Parts: sequence; structure tokens; C-alpha cells
Amino acid sequence: MNVTIPKTDHELGSTSVVLLGLIVLLGLAILTGALTVSYATYLIALSGMYVLLALGLNVQWGYGGIINFAVVAFWGLGAYVAALATARTSPLGLEWHPLFALVVAIIFSVIAAILVGLPAIRLRADYLAIATLGFSEIFRLLVANETHITAGMAGLAGIPSVLEDLPFDTVTTNLLVVAVAGALVFLFLRRIHRSPWGRVMQIIKADEDLAESLGKNAFSFKMQTFVLGCVIMTIAGVYYAHFIGYVDPTDLDPLETFFVWVAVILGGSGSNRGAVVGAFILVAVLEGTRFLTDFSIFAALSTGPLRLLIVGVLIVLIMRFKPEGLYPPRDELIWPKSQTDTEGQS
Amino acid sequence: MSSFELTYDGANLQKENTVLEVAGLKKSFGGLVVTDDVSLAIESGSITGMIGPNGAGKSTLFNQISGFYDPDDGTVEVNGTDVTGKQPNKIVQEGLLRTFQTPRRLEKMTVREAMLVGAQSQLGESILPLWISGAEVTREERANLERAMELLEFFEIDHLATEPTTSLSGGQMKLLALARALMAEPDILLLDEPVAGINPTLVNQIAGFIEELNQEQGYTFFIIEHDIEFLMGLAEEVIVLNQGRVLLEGTPETVQSDERVINAYLGDM
Ligand SMILES: Nc1ncnc2c1ncn2[C@@H]1O[C@H](COP(=O)(O)OP(=O)(O)OP(=O)(O)O)[C@@H](O)[C@H]1O
Ligand SMILES: [Mg+2]
Repeated sequence: MNVTIPKTDHELGSTSVVLLGLIVLLGLAILTGALTVSYATYLIALSGMYVLLALGLNVQWGYGGIINFAVVAFWGLGAYVAALATARTSPLGLEWHPLFALVVAIIFSVIAAILVGLPAIRLRADYLAIATLGFSEIFRLLVANETHITAGMAGLAGIPSVLEDLPFDTVTTNLLVVAVAGALVFLFLRRIHRSPWGRVMQIIKADEDLAESLGKNAFSFKMQTFVLGCVIMTIAGVYYAHFIGYVDPTDLDPLETFFVWVAVILGGSGSNRGAVVGAFILVAVLEGTRFLTDFSIFAALSTGPLRLLIVGVLIVLIMRFKPEGLYPPRDELIWPKSQTDTEGQS
Repeated sequence: MSSFELTYDGANLQKENTVLEVAGLKKSFGGLVVTDDVSLAIESGSITGMIGPNGAGKSTLFNQISGFYDPDDGTVEVNGTDVTGKQPNKIVQEGLLRTFQTPRRLEKMTVREAMLVGAQSQLGESILPLWISGAEVTREERANLERAMELLEFFEIDHLATEPTTSLSGGQMKLLALARALMAEPDILLLDEPVAGINPTLVNQIAGFIEELNQEQGYTFFIIEHDIEFLMGLAEEVIVLNQGRVLLEGTPETVQSDERVINAYLGDM
């Protein structure tokens, strides 16, 4: 006789509800004329980028409890490699194929992640926080000041968009690209998360010494998650460069890192779908605040501070009422196939 | 469900072989010498106890043996391999596994998830095989799940398999730690106070489990425990550690009646 293995339930219902809600909101905004269709498409395409960023950070913080305050730098690495390698205005004058640039960006990202992680990941979490923050600022300053390579504050314009041959406008094409990229990354992460690998990450997050005492090389696992998360952020940056067509050092504001953290915490650390939902809500808040200044009571405020205020209030509300985030992880990290099609299942 | 099966038989073959050998271990923190020239050897298939007053250095000794602390001096050998100063995870791979004195928190994991982490060298712990050898990962995971359920049944906590570990009582946590350690099929298990703070009924039960694992399956145990009664029925040999030094080594009976032990335990307060 076989051991009966209880099954975990699967429902994707409520995630779809939230996403559907946001889409309905967008639909209404378009119908009432508050938003144009192309702006709405732009917003979703932008959300896609934040989905990638949140998924990347969720791998690090959510799976493994690894602090990364350099989200914007790894994203910027992707954006800048893409821009420098493909833009007409690039001081390097390379004009590579975007796909080739993507591969190069990923390689750079892996190298940077290893260089940052190698000395710091072995140490306590706070060292990694400082090391990543330091890296982020160094990267921003390098980009701003190494004018002969990066064009400095002037920024890089004329980054080509991708898949021009498709019968869609540029924004729609970008939306498709990011939807495909987001889905692929999501499915990739889902598979590796609900596995022995994801389980080790979880035990490392809970108690690193315990993981070591059970024969798991904590350093190696943490390094893997760190690099993986950074690569996903870099992919988001490459996408951004081709999507917007222009980058400059002001894009590398550490505030962006903070926003991605908000998305992950809002959605529920450790949950992939939480990261997705968190990213959409984040963009809704960031972009929605633009319109608030239309209302007289907010008229005196400028968008920037208002935005931060609302994000702050949101965090406080979440911490107060749903400290685990909207979608805390719920699946057991057990390889799904090992529980289905078992002979002994009754 | 068949009875708990014998899946491990290495220890029987190695009977009379030294599985753990510690020589001249020394460790101090600042000016405080915590273990001082500790030497001991543990035979495969045996149960060895270790007692000593609070602060005697017992846990610190375990920490050095298992790689959590680097000894200042001395060597540790597991199955004849020098593991001194190696990372804890490498020492596990040599066949030595330890539990902790204080229960370790395991947020958000179910009991069976926690069990599965104990299994060693899982293919599915690397990312690539998850994509290229999915079927094999499935087989492996299924086998590990089955073994986990068997062990949970053996320890009579199988009804908790899908419960979050945070809902376990202190005693159940101790059982889980023991069961999870066995998932690794170690050559020697170091238990740091496996029955501290546990009610007498469960203490007897745990003694029974350990005895059965030792007798029927040849598992080797090295157990720190203040409860001398617990060790009495279990250990063939008890080592007394006092102020970082081995005070005495012998059968539980000789140890229990030794004057120095009585003094050390009662202290001179
Ligand atoms: N990491 C450390 N840093 C400083 N001192 C330490 C450290 N670890 C242990 N000690 C000290 O070493 C001494 C022995 O501690 P240890 O935990 O080994 O005792 P023990 O024999 O296990 O006692 P108990 O029976 O209370 O568990 C104590 O005085 C303790 O304070
Ligand atoms: Mg102790």
C-alpha cells in the first residue's frame, strides 16, 4: 500500500479578480475619457516592467530573505547596456542587434551580481543591504560622470524599439513583448520555486544555521537566488530601454528600488502572484497620483510628494491590516508532479 | 502501510568502527576557555551520552564537531576523514548530523516540507535538473515524501504532516527535529538535549524511539542530556564534561555514583 499524500488546493481566482478589477478600472477611465487608449496600453506595458522587477526581487527577498537595495542599479545595468549597444546616439557606436545586447546585458548582470554578492552574502543581512546600496549609488555616479562612455547627464536617445515588423503600434508591441517575458519568467519561477530548490531557499530564509545543519550549502543557494533575481531585473531594464527609447542617469534614482520593495511587500513576500499584483497596484498608485492634483484639495501639492505620501499610507495600512501582504505564499514547496498521478492516491 | 522499513544498513557493517574521533579540541571565547583538550571516540552502532553542568561546554563541543565553530586547536574526524574547520554542510555530507538545543523556528513550512529538507543530495535542489530531468525529480520527491511519511508514522506524528510547523508543541518540535535528521540517514547523530523540557511520558517514548533506531537499524547516537535517568537506560557509555574538560568516562552506573560527578553537578555553591 502507498502512503496517502494530502493534496494542496489550487485556485487562481482572487488574483484574477484583482487584475480584472484593475483592468475594469482602466476600461472605465478610458470610457469616461480620463485616459486615452494608448495611455492605458502604455500603463499596462509599464506595469509589465514592474512585474519583472517585483518577480526578481521576490526571488531574492521572498524566497531567500536576501536584501537587495540595488534593484534600480541592476535594472539600470540592463537599460544602459541595451542603450549603449543599440542606440544611434551611443558614444560606443555599436548598434548591435537588441537580442545580442540582451545576452551581453545578462552576462554583465551575472558578473556584477557575483562581484557584489561574493564578499557580502556570506556576512549578515545588514552588510548586504549596505553593499547593495553602495553599489547602486556607485553605478549611478559612474553612469552620470563617465560621459565619454555613457553620455552622462545628456542621456541616450534613439534606442530602437523591437519587433518593428509586427502589425501593431510601438506601445502595443512592447506590451506583447513584456507580457510574453513576464509570463515566461513567472512560469520559470513557479517551477523552480515549488521544488526541492525552493524549499531549501525557504529553510535558509527561516534559519540559515538549520539549513547548514541539514547539509545545505547556504552560501551557494543564496548566491544563486541573488544572481537569478538580478538577471530578471536586468531583463526588465533592457525592456525599458527599448520601450521608452531613452535613458538618462535620473532614471537610476534609488527611489525606484524602494518602489519595487513596496510592490513585493504589498503583494506578499515569497509569492510570485503577489509580486505580480503588487506591481500592478504600484503602477496604479504611482500613475494615479498624477490625476489627484486635478482635484482642488490636492491642487496645492505637487505630484512627487503626494505620490510618496500615498505610498507611505499604503505601506502603513498593509502593515496594520495585512502584514503578510495581499497574497502571502500559500503553496507547499513540494514538487507538484510528485503529488499528482500517484498510484496510491485515494 | 508496512512497518517502518530498514533503509539504512551501513552502520551494521561498520560495527566496531570509529565513526567520530575528536582529538584535543580547544576553544576559548575571549579569556574564557570553553572546551579544553577534549578527546573522545565514538564507535559505530553505539549510544554515547554526555552530561555536565550548565556552561560546561557541551553545546560548544557539538558546535565544533559539526563545523559551526572553528576549534582553536585539535581535530575532528568523521568516518576517518578529517573535517576540522569544514563548513557544517560539508560535514553533514561526511555522515554527521546534529540537532540544536533550542528548537529552531521554521516559519510557514508544513511538517512534511520541513521533513523533506532533511533528505540529502537531492537532484531537485539544483535548478537545471528541474528542467531537464523532471521525471527523475518527480521519482525522487515521491520517494522522499514516502520516507518522510514513514518516519512521521514511526514517531507517531504523521497526523501533523500538513500542519504548519509553528503549530507544533515543544515536544512535537523535538520529534520533528529527530525525524528530519533521520531523513539524511546519517552515520552518526548528535542530539543536543533531545528531551529537555518534555513531559516524562514523552521522554520515555523518545528513549524508546532512539533505542529502536539503534538496535534495529544500527544508528549511532551521541546525546547531550541533563536527564541522567534518560541516559541510564540508553547509553552504553557516558562522558562527563566539566568546565570544558572530560572529567570522567564510563558506564552510566559508574558515572552516576562517582563523587566528582555529584560534586560537579551540585557545584560548590
Ligand atoms: N559564541 C559564543 N561567544 C561567547 N561565549 C560563548 C559562545 N558560545 C558559548 N559561549 C560560552 O561558553 C560556555 C559554554 O557554553 P555551552 O553552551 O557550550 O554550555 P553547555 O554545556 O551546552 O551548557 P547548557 O547545559 O546550559 O546547555 C558558556 O559560558 C557560554 O557563555
Ligand atoms: Mg548546551
